[in-house]
Amino acid sequence: MVRHLKLQSRMVKPLNSSRIVMLIDDNDIDLKINGKIVAFTKSFEDIVVCRSGEEALNYLKQHLTTPERLPEFILLDIQMPEMSGFEFLDHYKKLPVSFTEGCNIAMLSSTLDFSDIQRAEANPYVVKLLKKPLIPAVLQEVVKEHLQR
Amino acid sequence: MDTPSVKVLYIDDEEHNLQAFKASFRRQYEIYTATSAAAGLLILQNIDINVIIADQKMPETTGVQFFKSIKDTYPDPVRILLTGYTDIEALADAINHGDVYRYITKPWSDLELHNSIKNAYDAYKAKIDLRNKVSELEKTNDELNRFIYSISHELRAPLVSVIGIVNLVKMEGLYNSSGEYWNLIEICSNKLDFYIQKTLQYYKNNKNVAEHSPVEFEILVSELISLYSYSDRDTQFNVKINQPVGFYNDAFRIEVILGNLINNAIKYQKSTEPNKFVNIDIDVDGQRAEITISDNGIGILNDHLEKIFNQFFKSKNHHGSGLGLFIVKEALTRINGKIEVTSDLAIGTTFKITIPNGKAT
Repeated sequence: MVRHLKLQSRMVKPLNSSRIVMLIDDNDIDLKINGKIVAFTKSFEDIVVCRSGEEALNYLKQHLTTPERLPEFILLDIQMPEMSGFEFLDHYKKLPVSFTEGCNIAMLSSTLDFSDIQRAEANPYVVKLLKKPLIPAVLQEVVKEHLQR
Repeated sequence: MDTPSVKVLYIDDEEHNLQAFKASFRRQYEIYTATSAAAGLLILQNIDINVIIADQKMPETTGVQFFKSIKDTYPDPVRILLTGYTDIEALADAINHGDVYRYITKPWSDLELHNSIKNAYDAYKAKIDLRNKVSELEKTNDELNRFIYSISHELRAPLVSVIGIVNLVKMEGLYNSSGEYWNLIEICSNKLDFYIQKTLQYYKNNKNVAEHSPVEFEILVSELISLYSYSDRDTQFNVKINQPVGFYNDAFRIEVILGNLINNAIKYQKSTEPNKFVNIDIDVDGQRAEITISDNGIGILNDHLEKIFNQFFKSKNHHGSGLGLFIVKEALTRINGKIEVTSDLAIGTTFKITIPNGKAT
């Protein structure tokens, strides 16, 4: 089940089409927290929330023909049951380039494991590994760096 | 008592010796015989032999040569050498290179040979038992380590959510809405997170073999300072780094070591001191890195200096975890480093560390 969180309208709407961020995490509480933090950064107008990698892939595939509903940024949890964040990336790279080239992924994890961090940042689709708890300023910086247009 | 039968392989080119051996011992042991080293090897390949007896003087391959040849491929069976004459050289060779347990002269006495086989089998069993015990312990230890690792991660995930919620509370301006409760929750959460992080550091230090990676002290130290001085901006850092050559050692462990010491230097400042400082001096050459970290903090009691590196040692007045310096010491041991500490309650504390430069490989 994909949920949309409509953000408050007082947010300034950018001139181009609305920006969408996708959150993928199996943990409801973290989805809630990170949804709030994303809203706080005011970088996006719509949040697509997915509780698993499968759900996210389904959403992306369903909306390939309606690009205005595709995300420009994905926050991807690493530790998830069944399909981990890394496994999600394996499927993700098979999506059309027309979509993936316009979308950035930041992985999100409470890991302190060096090898996880290296592995995440070595992946060409991943711009950064962000540590939980997500700090608004850190997210804002990544978004600013990778979503200029 | 129903003891498992002892499997004895006897190799001798003289058939009548084999017959005599069988006649004497077939009731006590499960006996296999061969008239040459090659035939003996064939039996060894198919049957779990416990004790091998070989005659020294055989055509083609001597007993010692045979023992030498199976030293690595069949290290377990215990070897007994039989020889008709006392050849000191063969004997020395047998002991030094063939891993021979006993040496018996021909003609053998049944009692002597019997005792030797019995002892040899005991030695065989002790060797196998020990190996089983070791691998069992290694397995348990490994499981325990992995358990610590997984449980630390599992514990940290919800804790990090709690800290995230506290951050939201701050963002939404509710932090002071319930007296000091939010602040207390934050303090407790951070403390718990600190413990979990130390546990993970300890686990990683325990498990990994030392790595060989380049270390740029300038970058490392400035990263660590900004990480740990985040919550305390009062302390003045004076960093002097002289690194004219590349330095190679375990980057992860060095980060753990410096991180813990810098964190301590910040944490244990005198609250009344107006000019809190931490001096970090690092001097690198082709042989080693010498690191000095000194502060004008609260110092360490003389009585405690001996104990600060012990696991779970805490002084009464300061809320440490008793893990930081223990991990520092453990990590240094792994990378052949040394640490010295001097302290004066009036002046402060100085840690001096020496870490060998592993050079590029």
